[in-house]
Amino acid sequence: MDSASGSDIIAFLRRNRMAESDIPSEQVRPRTAAAPFDPRIVAFLCNWCSYAGADLAGISRIQYPPSVRVIRVPCSGRVDPFHILKALQEGADGVLVSGCHPGDCHYLTGNYVARRRFAVLHDLLDFFGIEPGRVTFSWVSAAEGERFAELVRHTTERVRALGPMSRLARNATARVVQ
Amino acid sequence: MSTEAALRDRCRALLQSGEVALVVGYRAARTGGNCTPAFVTGPDQAELLVLDKTCHHNLAAYLPGLRHKGRVAVVSTGPTSRSIVNLLKENQFDRKDLHIIGVPDPSSAPASNVRNAVLFDEFIGDKADEPAPAPDQDLAAFEAKTPAERWEILFADLSNCIRCYACRQVCPNCYCPTCFVDASRPQRVGRTPDRSDTIMFHVMRAMHMAGRCVECGACARACPMGIDLMVINRKVAAIVRDRFGHVSGMSLDDPLPLTTFTPEDGQEFIE
Ligand code: SF4
Ligand code: SF4
Repeated sequence: MDSASGSDIIAFLRRNRMAESDIPSEQVRPRTAAAPFDPRIVAFLCNWCSYAGADLAGISRIQYPPSVRVIRVPCSGRVDPFHILKALQEGADGVLVSGCHPGDCHYLTGNYVARRRFAVLHDLLDFFGIEPGRVTFSWVSAAEGERFAELVRHTTERVRALGPMSRLARNATARVVQ
Repeated sequence: MSTEAALRDRCRALLQSGEVALVVGYRAARTGGNCTPAFVTGPDQAELLVLDKTCHHNLAAYLPGLRHKGRVAVVSTGPTSRSIVNLLKENQFDRKDLHIIGVPDPSSAPASNVRNAVLFDEFIGDKADEPAPAPDQDLAAFEAKTPAERWEILFADLSNCIRCYACRQVCPNCYCPTCFVDASRPQRVGRTPDRSDTIMFHVMRAMHMAGRCVECGACARACPMGIDLMVINRKVAAIVRDRFGHVSGMSLDDPLPLTTFTPEDGQEFIE
C-alpha cells in the first residue's frame, strides 16, 4: 500500500480482514487442529528506514517466514495505537511496528514521540492481559536487511507460541463466552 | 460566614459588575441526590449556588462548549482545576476569558487525591487538608494477578458496557468534535454488539487519557452499568507517572507528556 493516511490504513485493515469467516474458505488454509498454526502478522514499517530494510532483505534474498503483511507508513510517528489494535481485532495474530533508530528519524523527532506512545500502549496491553508479546516494537535501519529478517523470524515464533489471537479478535470473544 | 455563603456573595458581585457573564457552579438537584451543575447568568440567581458534599461533577467539562461566550467563572475544586489546567494547555480555552474560583473539594468521598484547587484567581473558604500520598493498594493487588486473570476480570466487567458513552460525555478531556467511536468514514470502532468493539473502545479511551486524566472519577460515577473505569484510569496515570514523571494537571509549565519526549526515554520494550 503506498499512501498511508489514517483512513487508508483502517480501510486497508478492514478490506483485508484476515479472519477466516470473512475470507472465502478456498483462499485460506483452515485453522484446524491437524494443520499447523501459521501466524499472521501485520507489520507497520516506516518508509525511510524499516521499509527499506525489508526491501534490502528481499533483494538480498534473505529467507524469512512469509507471515508478514506489510503496511508502509511515512513514519513510526504515524502509527496510531488504534491501527495496532485494529489489526489484532480484524484477524492478525501479531503486529510488528518498526521505525528508524532514535536520532535517525527522517522527520527528526517522529520516532521519539512515537516511543512514548508505544510505551504507554505496551504497558496498557500488559495491564489488560492482552499479551504484549503479540505486539513487537523495533528499530530497523535501511541497512539492516538481515536484522529485519531475524526480527520477522523470532516475532513469528513468539506469536506461534502464543497461538491464534483471541482476546481482541472479532467474533472470538463471543465464542469464548458461549 | 460559611464557604457557601461567601461563594454566593462573590458570584453575585462578579455578575453584578459584569466581570463575568456566567458562573458555572453547583445547585441542588431538583430530584434530590447529588448536586447538578448550575449555569448562573444573573446576580439574582446566585442564591441557587450550593457547595456541599454531593458536589462531585467535574465542571471543566463544560468549558469547551462555552468558548467565545463571554467571560466565565468556574467554581473549581481540586479535580476541576486540574482539568482546567489541561484544557488551557491544550488551547481549549482562553485564559483571559476565565475566572477560576478555587474552593476546597467539599465532596464526601473525593476520588481524586488533590482536594484544593491548584490554579485559581481567588480562593474561597479554608483549604482542606490534602490526603497524604498513599500507595495504590487496590491497583497493586490487581496488577499482581496473572495476565489471564486480569483479562478475565476486565473482560467480564467491560462486557457489561452498553456503549452509551456517558463516561465520555462527562469527561473534560473528551471535547473532540467527532469522537473516534463515532467516526464513520472510515468507521473506526465497529457498531456491533461484538465485545471486541467494546474492548477496543475502552483500550483506546484509556490511551487517550494518558497524561490527561485527573482521576476525578466523573466517568465511573456516570456509568449506568457500574463499570470500574477508575482502575483503568489509575493505571494509566501510574504508567505516565512512572515512565515520564508526569502528574496530570498540576502545573501549566510542564508539557503534556505524550506531546513531548526526551532522548533518554526508556525503551526496554523495543527490540
Ligand atoms: S458510561 Fe459505562 S456503559 Fe456507558 S459507555 Fe461508558 S463504560 Fe460503557
Ligand atoms: S477519564 Fe474519568 S476520571 Fe479521568 S478525567 Fe475523565 S472523567 Fe475524570
